[in-house]
Amino acid sequence: MNKTFGGVWIFGDYRDYFQNRITLQLIAKGRELAETLNTGTTVVLLGDQIHQYAMEYVAHGADTVIVADHQNLKEYEVEKYTTLLAQWVKSYQPEIFLAGATSFGREFFPRLAKRLRTGLSADCVDLEVDPESFLLVQTTPAFGGELLAEVVTPDRRPQMATVHPGVFRELPHNAESVGHIIYPEVDVFPEPRVKIVRSKPQRTGKVSLEDASVVIAGGKGLGSKEQFELLYELAELLEGEVGATRPAVLSGWAGEDRLLGQTGKSVNAKLVISIGTSGALQYITGIQGAETVIAINRNPDAPVFRIVDLGLVADAATVLPILLETLRRRL
Amino acid sequence: MIKYRESKISAHHNYLVNDMLTPGFVVGKPNDTEGFYFLADIVLAGESMPRISCRLLAEGPGNLLLELNWNRIQANPEGCIHQSIPGGFQILRTTGDVLLEVQTQAFANGYLTRIKAGLYDENGVLQMEPLGDSISAHDAEKIVLDSPFSSSA
Repeated sequence: MNKTFGGVWIFGDYRDYFQNRITLQLIAKGRELAETLNTGTTVVLLGDQIHQYAMEYVAHGADTVIVADHQNLKEYEVEKYTTLLAQWVKSYQPEIFLAGATSFGREFFPRLAKRLRTGLSADCVDLEVDPESFLLVQTTPAFGGELLAEVVTPDRRPQMATVHPGVFRELPHNAESVGHIIYPEVDVFPEPRVKIVRSKPQRTGKVSLEDASVVIAGGKGLGSKEQFELLYELAELLEGEVGATRPAVLSGWAGEDRLLGQTGKSVNAKLVISIGTSGALQYITGIQGAETVIAINRNPDAPVFRIVDLGLVADAATVLPILLETLRRRL
Repeated sequence: MIKYRESKISAHHNYLVNDMLTPGFVVGKPNDTEGFYFLADIVLAGESMPRISCRLLAEGPGNLLLELNWNRIQANPEGCIHQSIPGGFQILRTTGDVLLEVQTQAFANGYLTRIKAGLYDENGVLQMEPLGDSISAHDAEKIVLDSPFSSSA
């Protein structure tokens, strides 16, 4: 391990806090990594009136929170964020720096990596510290998701990665936690080249897929949009949400916001029922965090059966109406 | 190296002092029988009310104005008024001026208490004064509490 640098840093993305859990998921993983490296977990937090988020991150396992609480940081501006974080990284020298692969992280983290002249692995689905070299092994889909690449950053620091939401589990809230808080001086900001006129959050569905405890996932094997529509009924009976594979989305059976997999969403559901999905790698990365996976597919050799807890070789068009009828009677 | 300030932070309840979060702090000497002190004690998980104990003195001669113990009036020779406000309380002098204001903001999973006051020690030296929406407490950074100062009222 390079002793010059220290600490596992996590970028605190608190927008839409109670739906967006990526920072809490990264804190949990960060603690694991930090333990191996014999160091601490730090969340960096920028904004205006953000006291409650600093407290939340400590409650969920952060050892330290570095805070810039300033009215000039009320709105996200990529130049300000990049400049401030670059200063902090150069000053405090973290070993690892992680952010969620959200629209936020995807925009400014590559800029920050460029500013720091270090590498960045995007959309990682796993992170581990190599026990011999103490390097961060960043697992990320490559070649269009056909394989998973393990990437290391042997020379430059920090080792930076964005991580797909939902692949790690957050630690429970502990009100008795006590941490450390640092307030660096942040009086100097770059001259803004962009003026924010107005910001308006995009409307999304009533429940995010990442937070659903039951997910019904449908693929092209369902055969038609009409068959896919039955999944909504099944999801309602099981109080779940509907997700879709890329082919199902491309067929217009579901919106992009329901896409599961490496370019879509990852779920931590207690139960995923995967229907008419072959099990392509890019899709599997989106459901591998589920506690139990059940798959229905008429092809006994479908790759999805390699990762399921219970598999049913059957035609979805036949099974789905029977399943719905049975559940309607029992629930 | 970037200049910075640091403190401890509780996941449950903090006071905003010197523009920093802190689980608890003390200014002055609470164990002395006379003289100014201000204790913002650690609030334990499960409780939501701040724990303020203090001995407040008049600006000039240093006469005792009020003594609080865990938010309750212990001694009140000047006849100050304890008044509830949303999320906290105020102490008003007989002139109507606010001597001390303590207000707690509830978040989804935690609490933040802001204090407003201009408080003097027995030598007439200003020890605490308003700072934006929090308070500036001289020397409070050096005396951040690691554990509750008092375990009972």
